[in-house]
Formats: sequence, C-alpha cells, structure tokens
Amino acid sequence: MSRYGSRKSFDLEWIERWARCVNEDRILPVIGRFFNNRFVLGVDETEFLIEVRGGKIARISEGLTPNDMGFDFALRAPSSAWAKFAMQIPPPMFNDIWAMAHPLHKQLIIDGNTLPFWQNMRALTRMLSLMREV
Amino acid sequence: MNQHDPIVGRYVYVTCQGKTYRTYYEETGDGIPMVCLHTAGTDGRQYRHQMCDPDIAANFRVIAFDMPWHGKSIPPSDWYLMEDEYKLTTSFYGEFIVAFCRALDLRKPVIMGQSMGGNICLHLALKYESEFSALIALEACDYSPGWWIYPLHHPHIHGGEAVATSVFGLMSPESPDEYRWETWWYYAQGGPGIFKGDLYFYSVDSDFRDQVHKISGRLPIYFLTGEYDFACTPEMTERTAEKVKGSECVIFSGGHFPTSEDPVKFKEVITPVLRKIVQNDPDRRGGNRALSGPSAAAASSPARPTGRRVIDL
Repeated sequence: MSRYGSRKSFDLEWIERWARCVNEDRILPVIGRFFNNRFVLGVDETEFLIEVRGGKIARISEGLTPNDMGFDFALRAPSSAWAKFAMQIPPPMFNDIWAMAHPLHKQLIIDGNTLPFWQNMRALTRMLSLMREV
Repeated sequence: MNQHDPIVGRYVYVTCQGKTYRTYYEETGDGIPMVCLHTAGTDGRQYRHQMCDPDIAANFRVIAFDMPWHGKSIPPSDWYLMEDEYKLTTSFYGEFIVAFCRALDLRKPVIMGQSMGGNICLHLALKYESEFSALIALEACDYSPGWWIYPLHHPHIHGGEAVATSVFGLMSPESPDEYRWETWWYYAQGGPGIFKGDLYFYSVDSDFRDQVHKISGRLPIYFLTGEYDFACTPEMTERTAEKVKGSECVIFSGGHFPTSEDPVKFKEVITPVLRKIVQNDPDRRGGNRALSGPSAAAASSPARPTGRRVIDL
C-alpha cells in the first residue's frame, strides 16, 4: 500500500457502503438540513443516481431510466480519479472535487444545474469526503 | 492568570487613488520591517502564528494589514453608490501596498504575501523595486486563471459557505484539522463579493506571463509553493521562477495557505529564507548578531529588552 492508501473499486455495493457511512454521520443532518437534491455520481461510463433528503442519502440506483425524470447535477470522473480521491490521504490534485474539476486539471466534470450544487457544496463536500471511510 | 498574544492592532489612514482608507493593521516584534499580505477575501489574521513566534519577532517587525473591504478595514464611505461590483485591480493593489508602507514610514520593508499577495509581488518587483528589500511570494505564479466566476457572489448561494468550501481543498489533507477549519472560517467571514472581486486581480488582471522576464533580479524574490495547491501548482511556480532573474524557488509538502493551515510546517520552510534576509540586511551584515544563537545575539543587541528569546533561524 502506498502512503496514500489502497485503490478502491466502484460498484453499487461500494456506493451502498458509502451511503451507509453518510447516513451514520452526525454532522450532515445539520449542515445538510436543506440539501434535497438528486445528483449523478459518474464513474467511468457508469452513472449512479444519488437521492439526498435532508443531508442523508435516501436512495441509490445504478443507471438512469426515463422514469427518473432526469437529475439536478452530475459529478463525473474516471474511476482512477475517484480512487485517488477516496484514498485516506489523497494525493495532490485529487484531494478535492475543485482540485479535480479545475480547468488546469480536468479530471472531474460538473454538469447539469450547478445552482443546487453550489448551494449545498459544504454538505456535499463532507458527504463525498466520507468515501475515505468506506 | 491572563494570557495575551503579543500582537497589537491599530488603524492608519492610507490614501490611494483619490480616496482615503481607514486601514487596520497588527504588528509585533522589532527589527527588519516585514509587511504580510493576506489572501483573497480574508484578512491579516492568517499571519497570527508568525506574529506570535518569538524567533521571528526577535529580528522582524512583522506587520499584517487588512486591505480595504477586508477584515476590520472598512470600504470607502460611498461604496453603496458604486455602479460596478467590487474588483481589485493590479494598479490599486500595488499602489495601496506602497502607500501603506509609506504611511507607516517603513524603510525598505520585506513583503511576504500569499496567493494574490504572492502574485502581486511580481508587480511590485516590476514597478516598485526600490521600495523593498526582499519579496517572499507564497503560492505565487505569473498567471492563475479560472477563479473569477459568478457563483462566488450570487444571491441564491450562501457566499460565506460557498467561498470557504471552494478553497478548502487547496489545503493539504495532512495539515492539522483545527487550522484548516480556522482558515475556512476566515473565508466564511468575508464581505459579499469581496473574494470574487479579489479574484478579478488574481485570475484576470494579473497576467504577468509576458512581463516577468523584465524583473531586474536586483531585488531578492523567494517563491514557496505547497504541493497541494491546485490553483497555483508547483509546476506553475517553478515555471515562473525560471523566468525571474535571481529568484529562488522552494516546493514543500503543504497547501495554498501555509501560514494559517500548518504554521509548524511553515516555520520549517520559511526559516532558511528569513535567515538569508537577515544576513543580507545592510544594517546587520557582518555583525554576526542574532545568527549565532541566543547568547551571542543578546550580547550584540544591548538595546533590546533583556530576557527576550532571540532568533535562531
């Protein structure tokens, strides 16, 4: 194992473990009280729809269907980038979604309606950081 | 028993580009004046650890001021009538730094700035070389694009939380949590639109890529950048330093806010630079004082208060 930790593989089971970490967190219900959105976590070509209610994850699903009626915003990156992001000590340029999304680095693409993304960024950032606990 | 930091604060009136600004500053120590420049949207508290460090205060008069609109420095009185949003420009920033130093009658101070305070060092070297004795440019480069964006000042977005969270990842994950979140707090306290307005300077009005080769090299410039800085990466600093004659460049295992996110690490990194500045100071050159350890320094500095800890940089 490198100083940054081990590599992770991302499937629905991994997403579920992460979602359970999120829902056990005692800070997110406070800072995410008004976080009620559905966002896509894109890993390579796979899209996971994450439904958030009050800062907790209410539902996860793999792939999008017409019945989903779309989503609010999406965060898409290669699995190699998410794997670095989710390390205990992520390496430089992969420790933060802004680091990965910055035009200089272009590892992560943020699309859709970015207004709720910005509005809930503090809670979202904590939520994503809990990937390091999975 | 009461405990106080050694820092004292005052207000000075600084006139710049036709307006006078009531400007808050803090200082500590005595010796070579060193004026510290905060990052975008924040204030001089970012230097509180260095200002409380007796090793630094023994040889430097450390001064940190809040730019107009920041911290305890209020905006101009007619700010609410402005027909444009707040934007920090290169010309105002440079002139204000010089005007502040003159308002305090500082003689050839050292400037230490980080992020936008680091980038402005390039302008100071180009335009005001004779005003300063050395420049310490933390997290600086000749062009740092991408940060002047609407969401940082938007009525549907909580400015404090969004601004602070957008910079949080610029810090090293190995910096102490308490100091990273203290830095987050500074950012959350900025006035509406001030971070974004500062980034007009940082990302738009400070493209020095075609100018830095004109820096003469007579004024020592020290570049220091942390490896987790994704806004001004180590490579960006190194490329800039290669173009600046006579500069030195240090890359270290830290982030974009070294003075506030990890003061212990920063002391390791900055100490050799401060030692060089002391050695090069014309008033101290050849005197050996303050560089040979506490006893030698105390013996050669009779004017200093006795019992004071002396620099061992």
